[in-house]
Amino acid sequence: MSDEEHHFESKADAGASKTYPQQAGTIRKNGYIVIKNRPCKVVEVSTSKTGKHGHAKCHFVGIDIFNGKKLEDIVPSSHNCDVPHVTRTDYQLIDISEDGFVSLLTENGSTKDDLKLPTDESLLSQIKDGFAEGKDLVVSVMCSMGEEQICALKDIGPK
Amino acid sequence: MQGYGDGGDELAQLLSTMHAIEAACSSIQMHVNPAAAEATILALSQSHHPYKTCQFILENSKVANARFQAAGAVRDAAIREWGFLSSDDRRNLISFCLCFALQHADSHESYVQAKVSSVAAQLIKRGWLDFSADEKEQFFYQIKQATLGTHGLNVQFIGIGIMEYLISEFSPSTSSAMGLPKEFHEQCRRSLELDYLKVFYGWARDASLNVSRKIAGSDSESLEVKVCNAGMCLMLQILTWEFRYNHNGTKSINIFSAGVRNDNVLNNKTECILVQPGPAWHDILISSGDIVWLLNLYAVLRQKFSIERSWIDCPIAVSARKLIVQFCSVTGTIFPSANGSQENYLVQLLSGIILWVEPIDAISKEIESGKSESELLDGCRALLAMATVTTPAVFNSLLKSIRPFGTLTLLSTLMGGVIKVLFSHNNEEETWSWEARDILLDIWTTLLAPLDSSGSGISFPPEGAAAAAHLFDLIVNSELKAASASVYNDDSDSDYLQPSISAMDERLSSYALIARASMDVTVPFLARLFAERVSHLHQGKGISDPTETLEELCSLLLIIGHVLADEGEGETPLIPDSVKRNFSDILEPDKHPVILLSSIIIRFAEQSLDPGLRTSFFSPRLMEAVIWFLSRWSATYLLTREEFNNKNDGSLPGSRHQLQSQDSTKTVAIYFSEYNYGKLVLDAVVRISIITFTAYPGENYLQGLACHQLLHALVRQKNICVHLVALESWRELSNAFANEKMLFMLNASHQRSLAQTLVLSASGLGNSEAANQYVRDVMGHMTKYLVDVSSRNDIRSISEQPDTILSITCLLERLRGAARASEPRTQKSIYEMGLSVLNAILVLLEVYKDESSVVYLLLKFVVVWVDAQITYLEATETATIIGFCMRLLQLYSSHNIGKISLSFSSSLLNDAKTEKYKDLRALLQLLSALCFKDLVDFSSDSIETQGTNVSQVVFYGLHIVTPLISLELLKYPKLCHDYFSLLSHMLEVYPEMVGQLNTEAFSHVMDTLNFGIHHQDSEVVNMCLRALKALASYQYKETAAGKVGLGSHASDPRNPNGGTENRIFGRFLRELLQFLLFEDYSPDLVGSAADALFPLILCEQSLYQMLGNELIERQANPTFRLRLTTALQFLTSANQLTSMLDRVNYQRFRKNLTNFLIEVRGFLQTK
Repeated sequence: MSDEEHHFESKADAGASKTYPQQAGTIRKNGYIVIKNRPCKVVEVSTSKTGKHGHAKCHFVGIDIFNGKKLEDIVPSSHNCDVPHVTRTDYQLIDISEDGFVSLLTENGSTKDDLKLPTDESLLSQIKDGFAEGKDLVVSVMCSMGEEQICALKDIGPK
Repeated sequence: MQGYGDGGDELAQLLSTMHAIEAACSSIQMHVNPAAAEATILALSQSHHPYKTCQFILENSKVANARFQAAGAVRDAAIREWGFLSSDDRRNLISFCLCFALQHADSHESYVQAKVSSVAAQLIKRGWLDFSADEKEQFFYQIKQATLGTHGLNVQFIGIGIMEYLISEFSPSTSSAMGLPKEFHEQCRRSLELDYLKVFYGWARDASLNVSRKIAGSDSESLEVKVCNAGMCLMLQILTWEFRYNHNGTKSINIFSAGVRNDNVLNNKTECILVQPGPAWHDILISSGDIVWLLNLYAVLRQKFSIERSWIDCPIAVSARKLIVQFCSVTGTIFPSANGSQENYLVQLLSGIILWVEPIDAISKEIESGKSESELLDGCRALLAMATVTTPAVFNSLLKSIRPFGTLTLLSTLMGGVIKVLFSHNNEEETWSWEARDILLDIWTTLLAPLDSSGSGISFPPEGAAAAAHLFDLIVNSELKAASASVYNDDSDSDYLQPSISAMDERLSSYALIARASMDVTVPFLARLFAERVSHLHQGKGISDPTETLEELCSLLLIIGHVLADEGEGETPLIPDSVKRNFSDILEPDKHPVILLSSIIIRFAEQSLDPGLRTSFFSPRLMEAVIWFLSRWSATYLLTREEFNNKNDGSLPGSRHQLQSQDSTKTVAIYFSEYNYGKLVLDAVVRISIITFTAYPGENYLQGLACHQLLHALVRQKNICVHLVALESWRELSNAFANEKMLFMLNASHQRSLAQTLVLSASGLGNSEAANQYVRDVMGHMTKYLVDVSSRNDIRSISEQPDTILSITCLLERLRGAARASEPRTQKSIYEMGLSVLNAILVLLEVYKDESSVVYLLLKFVVVWVDAQITYLEATETATIIGFCMRLLQLYSSHNIGKISLSFSSSLLNDAKTEKYKDLRALLQLLSALCFKDLVDFSSDSIETQGTNVSQVVFYGLHIVTPLISLELLKYPKLCHDYFSLLSHMLEVYPEMVGQLNTEAFSHVMDTLNFGIHHQDSEVVNMCLRALKALASYQYKETAAGKVGLGSHASDPRNPNGGTENRIFGRFLRELLQFLLFEDYSPDLVGSAADALFPLILCEQSLYQMLGNELIERQANPTFRLRLTTALQFLTSANQLTSMLDRVNYQRFRKNLTNFLIEVRGFLQTK
């Protein structure tokens, strides 16, 4: 999947630091890590040594959480890695505009209109169909290092 | 055969079929329309009585392929129509095949002859039980004449071929399918083994013997050689026959074990199958002097062909050697007991074989320069066979009549030579020396393993001990050389110790066996080597690169660990017998070699506590070896109790002198006991472990070894815990764990293990109050942190920060570790620990609903905690837990039902699925744990007093969980296992609740049960059968008492009005009978199948009658029909079976069913 379709401008961050340092040896599979300045989910960790009597190093395989690209990195296991701050926020879906943007209801009652519909076919059709049928839909928006994306959908209302 | 000229029409017909088949064969070869061609050929074999046509093709066709296909068609048709053929037809068919094969023996298309021979063999077997002895005699007369060479060499070769086909047809594992009952195959096998096998062997022997005389004058491609080789292959084939009826008595045919080999093959890597033909074979195998002939033949071959290099691998040499090796494995009742005849026999063999392996240096040089290694390897295999059939002493004495030394010395020299070559090749795999080394190690294991485990009865000859010591010296030196050479290998696989240990483990344990055969030499030798390396290290400090020495030390630690101590395999290992026996004359501990060796290593390990020495010497890898050694060593030697267990005289706390004077075999144990240096060593071990946590940041593997192996093994023994909790170093560790940030840097699963270890050590405290306080001190800070975090107002925003996630993950892992360590003594504090965080867990479950890894940890903690606590809880406490679990289940399902996740990456999506599966498994485990309360309950009052009903929660849970469990998910073996264990458990304990399930859930449960019965895992099948038994017996009892039982559920919910066909129990009765009678399953299942079948039959008696009648009607054979009818009657009436569901009746029915199956499965199951 190409990432050219996703141009996200940096959104206003809550002021929290975008990444945190963490010792490479403590990062586990299914955790997050920053590789080549991209937030990734770790899908594989293996360790090896620098020579027989050397120190351990970790080999990470990560998948970019926004564009699905595979990235790899090798870090000495006693060194620190950057771990991205990944947040997920649920919003109720209130409208889908013609140009592919969605309108979401925030917790404090205002609307958020700067997110595009996802490009994934199945999720896209689920959202469109569900919305057309008048279901109450809640979307999860994943946000990290200044990017945002719709990542999940849940039907809370009656059918 | 018959004339074809009865009419021109018929001839024309035959010709046209022949041409059609020929055309089809050639078009298959040229890949022109193969489907049509195949159809033509298939039509021939499926046509009615195609024999005449086939015979015509065989005799007249010029296309070899067509003849081949015609032979196949004869076979297919004859097997299919056998029952309708007259006995003359049958005989004629076989005679035709035999004659055809023999008459065309010189044809060039040998595969056609082979096919026809195999058809003849199959047809002979098909008619085996119908033919009279005379009829068989006629066939065999023909074959015998051919085999003995009366009609020339070509015919002889074909004759031997026919015999080979016959024998493989009669051996169940290689026989072809004929659609006949298994009993048939078994009867054929038995008849052949008892009446013909020996005769056949005689023919094969005579055939080879006769031609072998002429071999000396012929070249390796000649026909004589070919025939002789075939004869020997046949002899070999007969000697590998699985002899079953060698005890004169007639065993009944056990249908369950039919086809399963169950001889006592040793667990060697090199296969060595014993040949035990029984006393009847003595004359032909032993007293006939065959081995002399065979050895002479091989000697002639050696001489004759020695000019050509490749002769060793030519077929006749290979089969001669294989046969000789097979002769070495002959044992059992064939040798009259106690007159040394087996020894004489083996000596004879050895005198021939020794030339293959001696002198090893010259031979290995030849092999290195291009000679084939197969003769040497076969020599080793022959020695292995001999070692398997003899005791070490007999084995050693075999060679003494030929050489001035014993076989063990030969073995040691042989292995020395092989190892020299092996290590000069720098550990390349798959070389000949590698294989030879493995076989030789197997010989040592075979000889030494019984010695090591029993320690009595069998003795090892002194010459063997010397040979072993010498060999061990060589092995260790070679291993060290290899270790130092491997340092600069950039082979990333061997960077970690564990992979190298497991790769070497088998080898190392064989080395250890060799070392233990002469401990008085090998232990001081190892001590010397280790001390040398250590002093070398210190001398070169700061001057030279220590890496090679470090690697040598690693290697030595592994070897010494194996020599001194055994792997516990989950149990507490004992001090090896050889350690106790060998040094029984040494009373002074400071002279005891084992104590000296252990002390040297412990002192060396303690040097890692010094920061300077640590940075210069103790690389992570060396530390791994040290920790590995310490854990293996301390499990066996440290503060061991075995020596004091039987003493009740109260003299224990007495003086050292008194203890020492008692028994010299206990010197080592006493030295490392609490009365001497045990506590000091324990302290050192703890301090060294702490160092691995603090001074080796990020070395996950090393820290894992220290947590999971070393410390965990220590706290498993209560006598060690007593001393642990008194140690200052242990207090430091638990303090650091409770209060300091630093140990959060450990891998989370290591933290879990550490928490478990620390809590377990509380069992060493004097009373339960102190133990509970200890747990509170260790865990108190952690629960407080969790409660604080979860009650913060900004929990939502901080919860997603990576550092919060990290601490919460670590804390949950720690809590889970602590919960796993629950013991009656610390139960109270661990209950409080869990109770204090219950609310926090619900909050976190809400907050982290999108962070699946945290959700999983939360569930896992709850599972472990509930599982560990539930049986101890009082009624009110149980009510709290049940309420909590209810809320947890509701919360989880509200987050997960109807949710769709999205990801750009399919591997992330797959991960998400795996996580879901893990969650579900955790929930199933939680439900099972709750169920357990109704079975085992240590609390003082019954839970009913609080009005708590466990079954309701569990069934509520089941309603939540079952929609998420698809048959697809049940393919995960662990989930499947958990699911069915929960299901069987619930149906057994609360069958009445099943009636209350809604239709959807109920049919889901039944579908999964049906799925489970056909599962491959017999454990799963067993659980399903238990569930079925519970359901059916509940239903039977209820309806008998006039109640509704399962009510409307008892009929299939999808088709409630379908009559008997659709009743749930009817469906299962059908399935179960089908399963029992026709499918393959483990005999262990018969018991539980009987338990399920009995109530099912009672529930559905009329259907059972109907099914029984169906079965009987399907049997065409009147004998079988009668047998089946009687067996079915006995099944429900024998042993005074009544229709009461009580224990006695279940027992009776089990017996009846076993007898029933033994009686009928033999002819119902077909092959």
